[in-house]
Amino acid sequence: MKESKPKPYWSPYLAGLGLGLVLLLSYVILGEGLGASGAFARFEYTVLRAIVPKHVESNPYMFEYFANGANPLADSLVFIVIGVFVGGFVSGIAAGRFKKAVDKGLRISQGGRFAFAFIGGTLMGIGARIARGCTSGQALSGGATLALGSWAFMFAVFGGGYAAAYFIRRQWL
Amino acid sequence: MSFPLGPSGAFSANTGLLLAFFIGIGFGFFLEKAGFSNARKLTAQFYFRDFAVLKVMFTAIVVAGLGFWFLVGVGVLDLSSTYINPTFLLPQIMGGLILGIGFVIGGY
Repeated sequence: MKESKPKPYWSPYLAGLGLGLVLLLSYVILGEGLGASGAFARFEYTVLRAIVPKHVESNPYMFEYFANGANPLADSLVFIVIGVFVGGFVSGIAAGRFKKAVDKGLRISQGGRFAFAFIGGTLMGIGARIARGCTSGQALSGGATLALGSWAFMFAVFGGGYAAAYFIRRQWL
Repeated sequence: MSFPLGPSGAFSANTGLLLAFFIGIGFGFFLEKAGFSNARKLTAQFYFRDFAVLKVMFTAIVVAGLGFWFLVGVGVLDLSSTYINPTFLLPQIMGGLILGIGFVIGGY
């Protein structure tokens, strides 16, 4: 049986054009930009409240999401992220890229990669809450609307990434 | 009709969530097309091997930024009912550094 090769990724400028138009559409329709980390925070606080309600209710930051009986999941960010799963899935299938894989360099084990993924994900979650947003909510959305703090955030992300890259090179190269 | 549509009351909250879902589909579609579902491609920028991430991000920022400020400039888009990220420089720099370190460790 002939195995079909996955299609190449798009030109970064074409993909960037599409992404920029979606971001613009988000501002024109919803009045806010795109985001990702906020949706995960909202999901986690909802689960956490179901398990340890007293903890969440005594934490002003987390409880703000429930203020006046609000449902943290009834938020556009949550639905954007659900849409991202669908859109990425459709694009991957259409391009013949849909497969089970662990992206890593050759000099690290799968278990090691998972451990680093967990540590990195934890740091990203902490960083995103401190900065009030992640690569999407701050860098992309705040970058387009020329928010000063979002530009500072963007340079800090690349600064942190380049500074740490050397120490973690075995995982990727 | 005035923009942004949602804050001007053009549709209900539930319709807004449905529209957000469709916008998310577009977001995910172009992210995947750009190769952002591949951790090695994402982290390659930190080793000066593949600058697709920077190219995609800055193209998107320029396209959305030009459109956004043009629509604000000609009075179509009402800036006061649009969410602009507030500035908290120290937390944004500290959070960005931590997130950047996490990015290259975690890969996404």
